[in-house]
Amino acid sequence: MDKRAIKIICFAGLRKYFGSETTVHVESGDNYSVIIDGLKAINPEATEVLTSCRIAVNEAFVSLGDPIKTENAIFLIPPSSGG
Amino acid sequence: MKHLQHTDLNYSELFDEFRNPNSGAVVLFSGEVRDNNKGREVTHLEYEAYEPMANKMIEEILKEAISRFKLNQAICAHRLGRVEISGCAVVVITGAGHRKEAYDANQFIIDKVKNEVPIWKHEFFTDGTSEWGQNCDCVIGTGEHEHDHHHEKAE
Repeated sequence: MDKRAIKIICFAGLRKYFGSETTVHVESGDNYSVIIDGLKAINPEATEVLTSCRIAVNEAFVSLGDPIKTENAIFLIPPSSGG
Repeated sequence: MKHLQHTDLNYSELFDEFRNPNSGAVVLFSGEVRDNNKGREVTHLEYEAYEPMANKMIEEILKEAISRFKLNQAICAHRLGRVEISGCAVVVITGAGHRKEAYDANQFIIDKVKNEVPIWKHEFFTDGTSEWGQNCDCVIGTGEHEHDHHHEKAE
């Protein structure tokens, strides 16, 4: 099955692991959790922080179980700083 | 108004602009930069955001608060970039007919902004190290947030 590249934009502490942006290859029908898994494979040291990240598309959060519908960049959102 | 600002926040000016004859109660919260966190001496903070999304989310939070607490008005402005000790990092002002609504709404807004909006705090310490704030640990495995609990407040 053909794979396509999805651009991932990273913020804050995530840049230490991936820089400001990176790329993950996905297949048709994949859901957003595949992106998290792909990033863990790129840099296993980021596994812990990735488990607490959310994904945003078109300025709205998506669930990891949702199928990837966009061709646009996705935004990887680490936990907000809280206080 | 612009919810994210790269220049100093002047809460006195914001408060003066806020006056409304329908508001018998106006509550102002200023989140300010402390010189310490968890026993470590802090030199300054730097804030970063995913700006379009953060701005949109703050706008939605304010609309929700105005409707839910029957406010006359509400504003929230958050600093981005470097903020020195005792500098103002975030301001929330709420106005209502009576104080309970103004207080409750103010806390509702700041809690939501701090816990949900993609704004990140980078703390710099006197020993030369720095750390990204990660106080919000409420994301569960599904990628959804749970907010039935209180977060530690660092400000």
